[in-house]
Amino acid sequence: MTMSRRTTIGLLAGAAGMLAVPFGAMAEGPVYLGYQLPLTGNTAQYGQDFKTAAEIALKDFNASGKIKVPVEIIFEDSRSDAKEGVAIARKFVDDDRIVAALGDFTSTVSMAAAQVYKRAEMAQLSQTASHPDFAKISEWQFRNITTQAQEGVYNADWMNEQGLKKIAVIAEQTDWGQSVVKDFAEKVEANGGEVVFTEFFNRGLPDFRSIITKIERAKPDAIYTGFFYEDGAQFLKQMQQLNIDIPVYSTSAAYNQKLVELAGPAAEGLFLTVTFLPNSETDHVKKFVDEWKAARGGAEPGQFPAQAYDAVNIMLEAVARAYPDVSRQNVRDELAKTKDFPGVTGVTSFDENGEALKQLTKATVTGGQFVPLK
Amino acid sequence: MIDPYYLQQLTIGISLGMVYALMAIGFTLIFGVLNVVNFAHGEVYTIGAFAGIMAIAAFGPPFLVIVFIVLAVGALAGFSLERVAFRPFRRFSDEASLKSRAMREATLMSSLAMSIIAREAMELLFGSEFQTIDIGYLINKPISLGPVTIVNGDIIIFVVSVLMLGGLQWLLKYSAIGLSIRAVSNNPLGAKYVGINTDRTIVLTFVIGSMMGALAGILVGLYYGAVFPSMGFIPGVKAFVAMVMGGLSSIPGAVIAALVLGVAESLSTTFVSSVWADMVAYLFLIVTLVFFPQGLFGARRERV
Repeated sequence: MTMSRRTTIGLLAGAAGMLAVPFGAMAEGPVYLGYQLPLTGNTAQYGQDFKTAAEIALKDFNASGKIKVPVEIIFEDSRSDAKEGVAIARKFVDDDRIVAALGDFTSTVSMAAAQVYKRAEMAQLSQTASHPDFAKISEWQFRNITTQAQEGVYNADWMNEQGLKKIAVIAEQTDWGQSVVKDFAEKVEANGGEVVFTEFFNRGLPDFRSIITKIERAKPDAIYTGFFYEDGAQFLKQMQQLNIDIPVYSTSAAYNQKLVELAGPAAEGLFLTVTFLPNSETDHVKKFVDEWKAARGGAEPGQFPAQAYDAVNIMLEAVARAYPDVSRQNVRDELAKTKDFPGVTGVTSFDENGEALKQLTKATVTGGQFVPLK
Repeated sequence: MIDPYYLQQLTIGISLGMVYALMAIGFTLIFGVLNVVNFAHGEVYTIGAFAGIMAIAAFGPPFLVIVFIVLAVGALAGFSLERVAFRPFRRFSDEASLKSRAMREATLMSSLAMSIIAREAMELLFGSEFQTIDIGYLINKPISLGPVTIVNGDIIIFVVSVLMLGGLQWLLKYSAIGLSIRAVSNNPLGAKYVGINTDRTIVLTFVIGSMMGALAGILVGLYYGAVFPSMGFIPGVKAFVAMVMGGLSSIPGAVIAALVLGVAESLSTTFVSSVWADMVAYLFLIVTLVFFPQGLFGARRERV
């Protein structure tokens, strides 16, 4: 019953979307984009960051005069709730003016909303949804975040170059953690190295010392880790507590200034890949960081707002290329053609699945700062 | 010669066990008097930790001053908790109400409610993430003892546990307050009939138990450098298991059970993935309930 009703609504929404195309193309009013993101609730801080980033990107784009009409973004609060996310997606696809959507924050909500965008045939670009299956849902889904399929391979090569052959791997017990281990381990073996230890832990584990002791017994040359900054800080502090000195490598998920704040000196010498560093010397990064600081009273932007900033800019570029025929289909096609986009999170292209291929940067923690390695 | 690996795991296990014991002491004390679980003990622990780190952030006092601030906050939290969640269910003093299981067990719900309210309030106030703590205050400086490494926090927690346990045993055995606590714990109605002020005794038990809970919170918070609103949940579960294994109302029993639990968890990580280490606690709980319903150290006694 519910299914059939949903299907009907989907079909209606799809039909409305198709009907909207000619009108949207002819209108001389502003071009509208939808942005669904959590503005309240537990994850509100992320959504608020995305909104600020999007506003910065939008202001610059409209000031540049690349196209004759202004672009506007309609923000809707999904509260990181899948039901809300679907409702917003329906609202966006029903709104004839909207040509494409950005968001959502979490993979769960993005994937729920993706079903609506897929049926209504409207492009959806998420700045953060990193679930392996998200971009595969249909040709309408895109993301501006690297997946472990890319980072794991990159890190395996990096460690191989450093002559690190025997590697211990630990990661959190989630879909994401599994992908950290899988893609990395395959490449290590391919490079002639050996994964001597693999273990998963529950997110939020307070005490890593038993695992660390176990890792030490396996005598690896280095440890590769799939954790976020809180677990990362605990792990690094307890490594130091146990006086164990084995180099630790990690993914961009660990990149957060809070990691250094929580772990202090224990974070020194952590190696990781990042796509965005606020202290980078590049002009466009400086410009974004300055504008962000002006909007946020001096605070530095993290990786997620930077990804949102790039996602919005990628979308705006696609709109500009599609202009004057800004239909949903055209925006999607132009989005798919994105190649070597010079974003603040690295040079970005989309592959045939809508996956972002980014240039990754090697970084380490020195003196309480994340600094790029040459 | 034992493999140093196992020695290190054993050391980690004992230090884990002491962390659980620290919480289990106050938890068991409160259970012993009322015969109901105080679900809000985990939040008293969290409040203690937050009070401590707020004091550190505000004026960076020496360690002992923090301990006293935390004890005061814990006492206040215990007093308020008793007033809000437990006292209302003792307002009828007739024999039927006093003997009623339903009246007593209603406090399970009210303490659970208080714990949810307190946790959510802290999440609204501070956010659910780890709080930043001045690294200099953390008690995790490594000390090498031959093949094993411990940290200064292990020594502090050990000393505090011993002091708590010893002090509590002395208090219960040799002081007037202790005598009335034991009397109320043994038979509240009888205690009331012989003229013991049971309300006052219960309030005092909460104050003492919560002071210990709050102190445990800040010590463990500084030990791991992890203070966040839901930090009390997992130690609360472990303390509960330790209490049941120890025989519900035996404080030394709970401490020994907590140590056994810690060592078992740490050694089990050697053989199974750490994801399963948490299962050890639940397995112990089930085995205890099935084969030793009185707990490992619980004396047989008539319940009121």
